[in-house]
Amino acid sequence: MADYQLVIIGAGLSGLASGIRAARFGLKTLILEQHSLPGGLNSYYFRKGFLLETGLHAMTNYAEAGDKRAPLNRLFRQLKLSRKKFATHQQFSSLIRFPHTSLQFSNDITLLQAEIDEHFPHCRDSFQDLLTNVADYDPFAPSSWRSTRQFLNNLIPDPLLIDMLLLPLMVYGNSEEHDMDLGQFVIMFRSIFLEGFFRPDDTMKEFLAMLVEHYKGFGGELRYKAKVESVERKDEEVKGVRIAGGDYVSCDTLLSTVGAPGTAKLVDWPKEPANYEGRMSFVESISVLPSAQRRVLNADHTIIFYNSQQELSYARPQRALSPDWGVICFPENFHDLPKQDFFQVRVTNAANYDIWKQTNSEEYQQLKVDAEAQTFAVVSEIIGNYQKNRVYQDSFTPLTIERFTSKAQGAVYGSPVKIKDGLTPYSNLFVAGTDQGFLGIVGAMLSGVTIVNQQVLR
Amino acid sequence: MTRDEIKNLILDIIADIDEDAEFDGLDPDKPLRDQLDLDSMDFLDIVMELRKRHQLQIPEEDYPELATLNSCVNYLEPKLKDK
Repeated sequence: MADYQLVIIGAGLSGLASGIRAARFGLKTLILEQHSLPGGLNSYYFRKGFLLETGLHAMTNYAEAGDKRAPLNRLFRQLKLSRKKFATHQQFSSLIRFPHTSLQFSNDITLLQAEIDEHFPHCRDSFQDLLTNVADYDPFAPSSWRSTRQFLNNLIPDPLLIDMLLLPLMVYGNSEEHDMDLGQFVIMFRSIFLEGFFRPDDTMKEFLAMLVEHYKGFGGELRYKAKVESVERKDEEVKGVRIAGGDYVSCDTLLSTVGAPGTAKLVDWPKEPANYEGRMSFVESISVLPSAQRRVLNADHTIIFYNSQQELSYARPQRALSPDWGVICFPENFHDLPKQDFFQVRVTNAANYDIWKQTNSEEYQQLKVDAEAQTFAVVSEIIGNYQKNRVYQDSFTPLTIERFTSKAQGAVYGSPVKIKDGLTPYSNLFVAGTDQGFLGIVGAMLSGVTIVNQQVLR
Repeated sequence: MTRDEIKNLILDIIADIDEDAEFDGLDPDKPLRDQLDLDSMDFLDIVMELRKRHQLQIPEEDYPELATLNSCVNYLEPKLKDK
C-alpha cells in the first residue's frame, strides 16, 4: 500500500482546495509545500511591522450568501465551508480610465450600463446583446479556442469600448498576448463585471489559516519546506515523489499545482515546455502611506485600470517595464473595513521577464529603482503624489514571482495553452490550478475541486 | 434500514452539504435538483457521503436513480436493508 492515496504538490489555493475536497471524503492526503507558508501566489509577508499580501488586490466572483448557483457559493459548499459565516466586504467602485474617456463600474452592472449609455450611446444596444451572449454562453463545455476580439468586433461598433472592456478582464486573468479565448472572456466578464470585487474580513493570512485548519480537521497532512525534487514513475504510472533532503513518499495519485512546465520538469515529461510558458508577467509596487495622506490623493475608487495610450497593447513589453497601462489598487477601499492608521497603494505594470532575468544583482536593484520611477511618472499624474510621506515601499518583479510561486517566467496567469481536463501522459498524475484554466482565488480553488471530483474521487 | 430511515438519511446528507437547504413543501416525487437548486457537484457529494457513511459504491450510470427523494429510497432500500 502506498504511503498516501493522494499527494498534492503546492499549498497554494488550488492545492489547499484539492486537499480539503479529498480529505473530506476520507482519502489519506498529503500536501507538500516548498515554502514555510501556504498560499503560493496569494500569500503574505511581514516587513517593518506591516503585514503585506503578495497577490491579492481583491477577490472576484462576489455573491450574496444563499445564491446557490454562484461560483463562490458552490465553492464553499464543495469545501464544506459555511458561506454564512464568511464575512465579506464589497468594493466601493472601480474605474477604467483611457486618455479621453473613463467608465466606472461596481458590483451592480447597472452602473456600467449607465456609463456606457452616457459615453458610448451608439453602443447601448450592442452592450445589451453582449450581456445576453455572456449569459447564454457555456464556458465549461468542451470547445476549441475562439477569438474574443473577433467576437467583440462583430458585436460592438466602437474599438475604444472593446479595449476598455478588455483591459480589466485581461489584466486580471489572461495568459495570452493581444487576444483571449472566448470561454475565458465569459468567465472573466461574469466574475468581474457581473459578480464583482470583494475582500474577506481579514487578510490572506487568516483566510489561508482557515483553509489549512479546515483541511487538517478532515485529517489532511501538510508539510512545509518540502520541495519536491523529482517524481518517480514506472512506465506511465507515477509511484511517488522524492523530496529535497532525501525523503521519499509513495502515492496512488499525484496532483501537481506547479504549472505545466514545472510538472513536466519534475516527471521528465517529454513535452515542449516552451508551449506552456506564458509571456505575461508583471512588476507590482506597494507603497504604504499614513492615513492622513489619503486626502491629498485621488483615491476614491477601489481599483483603477488605466491605459495612457489610445489602444490597448496587452503583450510582453519591449522594455523591462511598461507603465503604458496597468492597475492601481487601494486595498483599504472596501465597504465597512475597520479604520487603519495606514493605507496602501499597489500598482501593477506589465514587465519583460527576459530583461530582468539577464541582470546581475547590482543591475537588478537599479532596474527596480528605474521601474519604480517610470511607474511613478505615469501613476502620479492619475492619483497624485503617492510617494510623499510614505513609510514603506517594496516591489515584486517577474523573478520574485518565479522564485516564490514556481510559475515559469513569472507568468502569473500561467500557460497560454490550458489543460482543461487536468490529464497528463501519466495515468495517475493530474494538474490543477493556473495551467488547468481557472484563475483568481475563487477560480484556482474551483480548479482544485473540479480536478479532484473528475479524476480522483470517481 | 426502513424506508423512513433512508429518507431521513438522504435529507440529513443534503442538510449537511447545503446549509441553505429548505425541506418545507418538498415533493418526494419531483426532482430534488429543481426543488433544492442542486447541481451535479452537489449530487456527487450525496454519492460520496453515502460511500463514506455506508461504504456504498454507486456507479455513475446509476446516478439518475437518485433524482427524487422516492427514487433514492427505492434504489437504496435493497442496498441498505441489512444496515
